[in-house]
Amino acid sequence: MDWFPLWLSLRVAASATVFAALIGIALAYVLAKGRFPGRGLLEAVASVPIVLPPTVLGYYLLVTLGARSPIGRAWESVFGQTLVFTPTAAVIAASVSAMPFVLRTARAAIEAVDPRFEQAARTIGLPEWRVAAQVTLPLAGRGLIAGVALGFARALGDFGVTVMLAGNIPGRTQTMPIAVYDAVQAGNDHRASVLSAVLAGIAVVVLVAVNRLSRIPGAGHR
Amino acid sequence: MTKRFPIRPRWTTALAWAFIVLMGVGLSANGASKRTTTTKATKKTATSTPAKVTPALAPNTVAITRATGVRVKELLVAGASDLRPAFEELGRLFSAQTSTKVTFTFGSSGQLSQQVINGAPFDVFASADIGYVDDVVKAGVGDRSTKATYAFGRLALWVPARTQKRIFNVLDLADRSFKRIAIANPDHAPYGLAAVQTLQSSKIYDLVEDRLVYGENVSDAYRIATSGNADAALVSLSLVIANDNGGRYVVVPAEAHKPLEQTLVVTTKGDRASSAKAFAALVSSTTGRDVMRTYGFLLPGDPKPSNNND
Repeated sequence: MDWFPLWLSLRVAASATVFAALIGIALAYVLAKGRFPGRGLLEAVASVPIVLPPTVLGYYLLVTLGARSPIGRAWESVFGQTLVFTPTAAVIAASVSAMPFVLRTARAAIEAVDPRFEQAARTIGLPEWRVAAQVTLPLAGRGLIAGVALGFARALGDFGVTVMLAGNIPGRTQTMPIAVYDAVQAGNDHRASVLSAVLAGIAVVVLVAVNRLSRIPGAGHR
Repeated sequence: MTKRFPIRPRWTTALAWAFIVLMGVGLSANGASKRTTTTKATKKTATSTPAKVTPALAPNTVAITRATGVRVKELLVAGASDLRPAFEELGRLFSAQTSTKVTFTFGSSGQLSQQVINGAPFDVFASADIGYVDDVVKAGVGDRSTKATYAFGRLALWVPARTQKRIFNVLDLADRSFKRIAIANPDHAPYGLAAVQTLQSSKIYDLVEDRLVYGENVSDAYRIATSGNADAALVSLSLVIANDNGGRYVVVPAEAHKPLEQTLVVTTKGDRASSAKAFAALVSSTTGRDVMRTYGFLLPGDPKPSNNND
């Protein structure tokens, strides 16, 4: 049995989680703490990937990054190959679909941090970035980890966006969910059921982890 | 509860760092994943007689190595869903002869043509009709000189073993006991369009229209029916021959719909093109034609079959 899709999926989901976590947590912090015009709009736009059907999202990304788009052409002239239909495209697809899940969970966790801790940190003269790095984010730690784990699960399971942006090329861009779909199409029920079971197993493990981490609220609530 | 300050490193922090490190490892592994293609090509095939293959393929093999000195490790072929059984066999033959692995992506011709146009790295695009190949050539990503019609597709009406009624031809679908009839989506799948044309030319489209269910491509439509979710399927004969799932089928006369002029085109340039052309040549070679015939395709130049349904 060819296990390439599993390793590809884990690699893609891991990379996508890094991007989704960095962008998601940064945005979450800005949205939770910042007061600036356009904040509501930014919040809405950042959550769009949750609401849009994955295929629509995939289509927009394909139009934006495809071989005929300015970004796609620029990428090709620099790297010598197209951006879409590569593992990199799969990472982009998974990052975009995972990011809002990190963002929403992280934002709730950051907002739950008791502001008195932050005030206390400011009274001893810590600059704002150190308050964030040493007080707010560590106190929101569990929530952030839960958000990142949720993002990882979402990235691992993405089908619609990935299949539009990265295609279904076995050994290159065929991730687990796409491999399951392809096996069903090929009438290979055995492969489909084994891959599905593995994917379901990973999903359950991640969800159990998420539950354990988020059952205990942020330290600010103790 | 004690409120401590400053915060001491706790297990959550440790876990967070562990996670970040893990992600970092994943990221770097991903970056370094210029995969040296697995040498599955050497896997020997149990199908067909090699003796028969050699004469047809040997000239191609020589041509590849002589002309470029480069041997492409892996060829990417986008094929219409009806081709899966036949092309997988051809792919095995090709890799046995040239040690170039052939990797297939199957889907509806319409979807695949869009992927090719949007920059998918396929070397050959084998469509179930000629229109989508023309689109690809028009978009400037197909080599017009390599355009070749390699087969004419045929439709079959398939019913599961549990079907009470005997079936003779498409007209039987007028019977309401066929509650759901699976066809490929006619908007982007040539076999779906051919199925609609067949129903129209048989003057029963109005009677069955509300019972049609669409698969995303022809193999999806067939899967809908073979999994018990439709009572009949109008799909490609090739898929039914490859696996009849214990059901029964009749071949739809070729005149019932516009010809499914299955056409391919090479969609790559440079070194890879000669390898892609060699694969295209295999499809149209004597060996290739034999394989295609096995799966019920009509071949250009062959005499038309008499309408011997059943």
